[in-house]
Amino acid sequence: MAELTFPLPDLGEGLIEATVLEWLVAPGDQVERNQPLVEVETSKSAVELPSPQAGKVLRIHGEPGQSISVGQPLIVFDVPDDSAGIVGTVPKDEAPKRRVRLSAVLDED
Amino acid sequence: MTETTYAQSATGAEVHTTHIQEPRVLSMQQALNTALDEILASNTKALVFGEDVGHLGGVFRVTDGLQAKHGSSRVFDTPLAESGILGLAAGLAMAGFTPLPEVQFDGFAYPAINQIVCQIARLNYRSRGTMPMPITLRVPSFGGIRAPEHHGESLEALFAHVPGLKVVSPADPHQAYHLLRYAAASPDPVIFMEPKARYWQKAPVEAAPGDDLAGARIARHGRHLTLVAWGAMVARCLQVAELAAEDGIDVEVLDLRWLSPIDGVTLAESVGRTRRAVVVHEAPLTSGLGAEVAQLITASCFDTLRSPVERVTGFDVPYPSGDLEDEYVPNVDRILYGIQRVLEYKRG
Amino acid sequence: MEPLPAEELLGLYALMTEVRHLDRAAVAWQRQGIIPGYAPLLGQEAAQVGSGFAMDRTLDFAFPTYREMGVARALDVDMTGYMATHKASWHGGLYNPVTSRLAPIQAVVAGSVLHAVGWAHGQTLAGESGAALSYFGDGASSQGDVHEAMNFAAILRAPVVFFVQNNGWAISVPTEKQVAGGSVAARGAGYGIPGVTIDGNDIEAVVHTTRWALERARSGQGPVLIEALTYRRGPHSTADDPGRYRTLDEERESAGPDPMERLRDRILGAGIADMEALAGMEREAAAAVDQVRIKLTGLGTQPGAEMFNFVFQESTDSLNQQAEQWRKESDHD
Repeated sequence: MAELTFPLPDLGEGLIEATVLEWLVAPGDQVERNQPLVEVETSKSAVELPSPQAGKVLRIHGEPGQSISVGQPLIVFDVPDDSAGIVGTVPKDEAPKRRVRLSAVLDED
Repeated sequence: MTETTYAQSATGAEVHTTHIQEPRVLSMQQALNTALDEILASNTKALVFGEDVGHLGGVFRVTDGLQAKHGSSRVFDTPLAESGILGLAAGLAMAGFTPLPEVQFDGFAYPAINQIVCQIARLNYRSRGTMPMPITLRVPSFGGIRAPEHHGESLEALFAHVPGLKVVSPADPHQAYHLLRYAAASPDPVIFMEPKARYWQKAPVEAAPGDDLAGARIARHGRHLTLVAWGAMVARCLQVAELAAEDGIDVEVLDLRWLSPIDGVTLAESVGRTRRAVVVHEAPLTSGLGAEVAQLITASCFDTLRSPVERVTGFDVPYPSGDLEDEYVPNVDRILYGIQRVLEYKRG
Repeated sequence: MEPLPAEELLGLYALMTEVRHLDRAAVAWQRQGIIPGYAPLLGQEAAQVGSGFAMDRTLDFAFPTYREMGVARALDVDMTGYMATHKASWHGGLYNPVTSRLAPIQAVVAGSVLHAVGWAHGQTLAGESGAALSYFGDGASSQGDVHEAMNFAAILRAPVVFFVQNNGWAISVPTEKQVAGGSVAARGAGYGIPGVTIDGNDIEAVVHTTRWALERARSGQGPVLIEALTYRRGPHSTADDPGRYRTLDEERESAGPDPMERLRDRILGAGIADMEALAGMEREAAAAVDQVRIKLTGLGTQPGAEMFNFVFQESTDSLNQQAEQWRKESDHD
């Protein structure tokens, strides 16, 4: 697995930081792209930030009331570093289970 | 660290070779990505194109980052039309380019069969050698990933039956890296079948190929029996060899690599020593490449064979849905049964 | 365009609600490991439910790709049987395509467009009055088979309606890099087929246009090409990451109003139903989807022998021998 960190995005109008109001997801949650992640307050307004991707939340940054600067880490996702293709699932390389035993008398002529 | 040397390609394109200098542990998708990067860097006429290979980096990320590095005129997305992709490749080859098109999945090569079989495979012949087709068609192939229909098929016998095509399948990252570079340098069309079930497992890729890439290789040495396989079945046969060793049977695993042309010399050498052979493939039994391999072995080793060559293969059914995949693809038990049949065989 | 009757609007809303619930649930099921993969249709509910709803199920026949869950639901297909394809039980799904009037799900885009033309011409030859409804997307429109299908259909004057859902994206490739000239519907002119572009997120427009086209086809006036403009709000499949090729801002800008919200506002605005009634539909949809989940998780694996049983109508000795060997060597009865 690999970590993918998303920083607090530029919320526009020259704002350089935002205050965390409430986290809407917690570490361990599987979130979907576009799902609201966190409510933050800027000097202009309170906004919900949608998730830029689907994935499992590994860590979140900032307790409610703390402020985060634009570009600082906001949330870290756990992503498989061997992510599958557009369809299908990554096969597991596990030890094979066998039922069949071989029996032979090998004459080495 | 890469090294650059210069040479002149068959088509006159300026070719300078860069390649890895130290062993690296890579997945097959990374090894292929590295090879494509080096091919694009070293051959100014090389082009990578297909569905979603550009910005997205391919559905298996094999072309990840190549467009950003080499530009969108050399690495580009095409419309969703496989016949178009291969027909375009033929025309580009006529214009002196080295096309490396991708068909996204095995089953999507069927819509391109007309261009592959009727055109690409024959243009060198039709033009009396004046229009070579240095095309490497990459096809994510074979099954094992619980994918939808047409995403798990084995087309090697179909391609191998077509005069004018060469067919190769790598079994691991090292093979993938070196065979793709080798295929891209070929003046003839090569169908490059990537075993998608093996895209993610990591293994060392050495700087030197280690053997003659034009033929088969011995993946594991053994004394009693030769398992012949290619693609994802090589890893399974290596597992089987370990299991057979528990029972005192020393199995050799021969990775055929080239499915056309088949390396009959290495086959004869291996089975000449072990005197027993089982061919394993995912493709259906009837008219599969196992039959061709069995004939080559029989022709060269008839006098010393202790048993007819056995085949352990998929069945003569459409590749099934994910739930039944493990019933279809040869598993260790079915391969062990095949080995047992050969071991038990009594003449007369 | 006359407004649809109130009861039809409510019926459509109930269908769309269930389709959205099932679509979202299927994504969750993939995350939970219940199904290995799924191709969401989020945003295309109006185009799919509206066109399926417009069919006469006693006469017509639909030919889907792999993203037509909304059409299937509108045709009252057994949804467990439909979703079985995504559970990897059986490639074409486990519903009965003949009685469902919906051809088996299939994965090669444009693969079934010519089948629709063939089925439609069969109606003409047999003196039947059904029409075929062929579904494909902006990506599939690049395939040569689509040209052949439209040319055949026009030459044969076949009763077929080509229903293109242009959802803006073929995996990572946007329509402007897929469809030269920018319009699939415009291509109808070259074949002498009426080509109609509609707002695929306006369910009334979808129902009206599809009904008109099907009736026109059934009455012997030949094929119609409908291009329903919509938007693939979700990923291509549950393994796709759209963040690699489009931003959330671009999605918001391009997706336009949500087709569900549009129909809800239309119903509430016209006083056809109140919020409470619509909330009841949400609960019914959730319950229906829960039933699908229960049946799907209880489905089990198809018997391995079925691999062999459906290859031919009349099996062969060689295949029977292989089935026998499979029974002997596999850990199953």
